[in-house]
Amino acid sequence: MGQTLVFGILNGALYGMIALGIALVFGIMKYLNVAHGSLIVVGAYGSLFLFRLGVDPFATIPIILVALFLGGAVLFLSLFNRLIEFPEATKIKNSLLIGFGLMLVLDNLATFLWTGDERSITPSYSGITFQIFGLRLPLIGLSGGFLALLLISVLHLFLSRTYFGKAVRAVSQDHEAASLTGINVGRTFLISFAISVGLAGIPSVLIGLQSFSPTAGIQWFNKGIIVVMLSGIGNIYGVFPAGLFLGIIEALSVFLFGATYREVTGLVVFVLILILFPRGMLGSGAES
Amino acid sequence: MKIPKKIWIPICVVGLAASVPLLTKSEYFVNLLVMLFVYVTLSQSWNLQGGFNGQISLGHSAFFGMGALITRLLWMSKIPILLAIIGGGLSSIILAGIVGIPCLRMKRGYFPIGTLGLAIIAQITVGNILPVPGSLPSEYIVGYSLSSRYYLALSVAIMGVLVVYAVVRSRTGLALVAIRDDEEAAEAVGIKTFRYKIEALLISSFLAGLGGGVFAYHQVSYYYQSPFELSWSFLPTLTTFIGGLGTILGPILGSVCFLALNELFAFTLGEIHLVIFGFTFIMIVLFLPGGLMSISNKFQSPLSMKMGWGKRMRSIF
Repeated sequence: MGQTLVFGILNGALYGMIALGIALVFGIMKYLNVAHGSLIVVGAYGSLFLFRLGVDPFATIPIILVALFLGGAVLFLSLFNRLIEFPEATKIKNSLLIGFGLMLVLDNLATFLWTGDERSITPSYSGITFQIFGLRLPLIGLSGGFLALLLISVLHLFLSRTYFGKAVRAVSQDHEAASLTGINVGRTFLISFAISVGLAGIPSVLIGLQSFSPTAGIQWFNKGIIVVMLSGIGNIYGVFPAGLFLGIIEALSVFLFGATYREVTGLVVFVLILILFPRGMLGSGAES
Repeated sequence: MKIPKKIWIPICVVGLAASVPLLTKSEYFVNLLVMLFVYVTLSQSWNLQGGFNGQISLGHSAFFGMGALITRLLWMSKIPILLAIIGGGLSSIILAGIVGIPCLRMKRGYFPIGTLGLAIIAQITVGNILPVPGSLPSEYIVGYSLSSRYYLALSVAIMGVLVVYAVVRSRTGLALVAIRDDEEAAEAVGIKTFRYKIEALLISSFLAGLGGGVFAYHQVSYYYQSPFELSWSFLPTLTTFIGGLGTILGPILGSVCFLALNELFAFTLGEIHLVIFGFTFIMIVLFLPGGLMSISNKFQSPLSMKMGWGKRMRSIF
């Protein structure tokens, strides 16, 4: 039981990191980037490539992060920036459709380039675990949890202490009013989108250390969107606790019903939340 | 009663389609057409909701799969296939009623996300409960006749198109389009928006279930979960967008294009052909939101280009 919870929490940290990228774009821009999971998988392939050249997986994180950041900027400029002026529902719908097309492109390109096999990055320390109070703590999971805490604090400092962070929060509350005060909404969108895709870099390496295949993207996107819904749209600080919550719920369901229904539990929670609390469970979220 | 001249075109097409099994001996071609009719049924059902009512549903794989599953199970337990297919369609309606309606209650714009969740739940659940391939028993295989499948698929597709046509031409259809164009305005003039959205959902899921039933009748052996795969949600989205959202001909045209290109490229190009589809899809969403049907009037009303590309780039940098 305790062991199940530990794995639940470590998985939850990963979900939280995935969801952070989705929440940033969805909360601020009302874009639903369905291809976020596929971008994570592409990042994982990048990390695997570098690992085979002899780079330590954790050292590939900054490289993948920057590469995805630039990729995100290119994607925004070429595809997503056309949707800026649409009303909210149209934005969600169209960005979802574009994301879906992008997912089709990325997944099949990945299958073409690297075949459909399951891959994983296996450094020499991948099997190391610590024993504390009779609980096994895997090294990689722990470092994932640590990275998640680091990420959320950096993002928090960025959003609360910098001028650009203020602009992001202003745009997420009301982008018309924000543009009236002289904030360049287009540029804020561009940078937020690029950051969101860049943030996929950390989970992509961690997922790379587990196992991944070209079509795994949609599953990770699912986890992310469930967490975003749990935390409430626009509530970026709720994302991480919500991720942990999902991880624990999944772990408990594995404990109670067996591993086969793990995914279903998360999704049932998700649909229940959409029906019962359309604005998310943790806090009210941004009014839109 | 005056018969409009245009009515001869669909009648000729249907007549031609009906005579195909008599004209050709190629089983490959007939099988291809059966799949085309399944695609047309599914796309048309998606179009009623996505095209005419503006509710982009990603849950159609659940309805399609439900229809296929129930049809197959009923048919295997010796119920005549026509009744089994209708049973499949009804089971899709029930599924839509239980889980689709709550999705409609969600905040505006969240319907696609909710239905996506529904589709994935359905796929995983069926994959867990029935992980085996459903092969036909030998006595069914002995009596397998392709032409009966062909005519059933053809009639279901024609029925699907006619039902959507009739709905769209009715008062309900006007209400659906009004809701798509502006839900608040539609509500303000007294349209019961929620009721009409439910109607569209139920009719659409019924047709999708029938399409699934035809699939189950046609395929000799498949995994029970394979008609639940998400690609069956993406397929009608793709074909309808390619052909033309919110037109009767669009999904038919889109299905023909999709199937033809698929057959041309799937063997020669492998995965790359799906990359091309994805790319085409993005381009259509961005630049040609009306699909192929709107090419002729594209130059009159460019929907997606409120602000030119260059101007927007300058405003960002």
